[in-house]
Amino acid sequence: MKIGTLHLEKRTHVSWYVQGFSILIALAGAFGVGALLIMTTGASVGEAYAALFKGAFGSRNAFLETLVQSTPLILTGLAMVVAFRARVWNIGAEGQFFAGAMAAAWVSMTLHDDLSGPLLLAAVLVAAMLAGACWAMIAAYCKIRFNANIIIVTVMMNYIILFLLSYLLSNTWREPGSYFMQTARFERITYLPRFFSSRLHLGFFNALIASVLVYVLVWKTSLGYSIRAVGVNPVASQFKGIQIKRTILTVMLISGALAGLAGGGEIAGLQHRLRLDISTGYGYTGIIIALLGRLNPVGVALAAIFFGALVNGSTHMQIFTGVPVALVQSLQGIVLIFLLMSDVLTRYRIRRTPHAD
Amino acid sequence: MLTDLLTLNFLESLLSGMMRISTPLLLAALGELITERGGVLNLGVEGTMLVGAFTGFVVSFYTGNLYVGICAAMVAGGLLSLLMAFMTCTLKLDQIVSGLALNIFGGGLAFYGYRVAFQNVGSKNLPTITTFDQVSIPVLSKIPVIGPVFFDQHLLTYVAILLVPLLAWFLYKTVPGLTLRCIGENPRAVDMRGIGVVRYQYGAVMFGGMMSGLAGAYLTEAAAGLFVPDIAAGRGWIAIAIVIFGGWRPIPILFAALFFGLLDSFQLQVQGIGIRFPYQILLALPYVLTILAIVLRGTRTGEPISLGIPYLREKS
Repeated sequence: MKIGTLHLEKRTHVSWYVQGFSILIALAGAFGVGALLIMTTGASVGEAYAALFKGAFGSRNAFLETLVQSTPLILTGLAMVVAFRARVWNIGAEGQFFAGAMAAAWVSMTLHDDLSGPLLLAAVLVAAMLAGACWAMIAAYCKIRFNANIIIVTVMMNYIILFLLSYLLSNTWREPGSYFMQTARFERITYLPRFFSSRLHLGFFNALIASVLVYVLVWKTSLGYSIRAVGVNPVASQFKGIQIKRTILTVMLISGALAGLAGGGEIAGLQHRLRLDISTGYGYTGIIIALLGRLNPVGVALAAIFFGALVNGSTHMQIFTGVPVALVQSLQGIVLIFLLMSDVLTRYRIRRTPHAD
Repeated sequence: MLTDLLTLNFLESLLSGMMRISTPLLLAALGELITERGGVLNLGVEGTMLVGAFTGFVVSFYTGNLYVGICAAMVAGGLLSLLMAFMTCTLKLDQIVSGLALNIFGGGLAFYGYRVAFQNVGSKNLPTITTFDQVSIPVLSKIPVIGPVFFDQHLLTYVAILLVPLLAWFLYKTVPGLTLRCIGENPRAVDMRGIGVVRYQYGAVMFGGMMSGLAGAYLTEAAAGLFVPDIAAGRGWIAIAIVIFGGWRPIPILFAALFFGLLDSFQLQVQGIGIRFPYQILLALPYVLTILAIVLRGTRTGEPISLGIPYLREKS
């Protein structure tokens, strides 16, 4: 395309500051559309955003609560990083999150007399990871053995596990005499330690450690090389001797384990009982976080804290300006759409056409 | 109790339940069929259905006219898929990621819109609308069993069924239909004949979006009479699975949709009779069946070859 002496040229390499710029454009666009959405309620846009910010970062406790909200999002985001790096479309983090939460709840309910201290907590979290991995493995098996569409299988698994949980919560696991569909509160020794006299629990630090481990896995190990190779070019990587099916299976297991850990952390660190509403779509939000974080663990942690801030601040915003908390869900989708579109801009650069032609 | 299962009454309610339940699945699946035949994989059906369900509900609620609601839902679905078309056909973005983004955006928008339109609503005072009446076809609806099942249904059910032969005729007997199918297989060949590939794809994607919006409107305006944030409950995804299961052909898609409807209707009837069986297992059946259907169709016969691949003219 030519305009006068300028023309558009495709970039061969997109540097990190161009990528950062595209994220800024996406955020600006999203908050712009968000402003329009706020106007439909009749509230003042400035006041609403100020309340949102104040609720998220206004005080030490607000900031710590933002970190609490970001904890499951970091882990589901990482789960998506591992999967998407291999272009394995695991949309099942939501179900794997619940699988992890259910396993953590089961260990908390049954093993609290047999184990104690760090051993019990480790058992809770390891069970959560195993359960998440197992739930993901079903979808992986359908993909590998039958070449089934993994997106649809994983989405269906998200619904199936909710019915399973609903069954358990209305029968064997239900708190005796309770009006709500929930388990009884677990024993205190199953709780993850909390810090800074706030709700910030060990799960947040687990998530940070997981970020480092995912970074090492993806960029510093041969498995990580296989994962990225399968994502970039499955045919070529097969010729290089990479076993695609095994890579897909491994990716799904790791991805499911991370999502499961997110569920386990919420149970042991925050909820201390199992309910149907422990997730506000963390699994789906993980998709946006992974893409916003550029499939990079550091970026994911930052994006998760940003989204945690939105979730945390939105409660404050609803109380003081009446703008519904649901604004955040729309904002998340808009951020993703703008991000995808602004990426197109960064694929090109404007160059002066040489006089020779 | 088993004898309850064998009566004519049971058969009648089972089959008319099948017709009702499969209507939104069929509408969305037919839309997605056209979209995918044009080479665009729109995974945003679920989100588009939610937007359609919300728009249809809120417009019917405030205008008191269900038909205005239907039109508004189709416009909303069309607009949302216009965004999808812009992202995938003009900007050539990854279709999977764009579709997922559309889902999250659509779901969030519908939820937010509902909260803005109906403030101070709790679980006790949910706003409702009077749903569509059944349209009985004279004489035919009096035939035992067959009458109530096929000739005493919602208007949109007839529309969905009639669209099947209509779309089959369009795809296989008309020049635009042939062109669309060619675009799904080999867009370059169509482009070389001087036909606007992107224009066709915009049309296909927007038709799909309007059908998803219509399917969503059916959920609130014909089935439920109210809106809840997760009213689509995975039906958009099941519709995509039905397209795969039906091998991207209209008539098999009709039967796939009816089969899903039959299964769902069966679990409702069993619940109604009161057989002691964990109802959650029955509720999970359609989702389990979707996985089974996808697994059986793993070899993907009939999938448009260029499905999901953005058409770039300059790339050789």
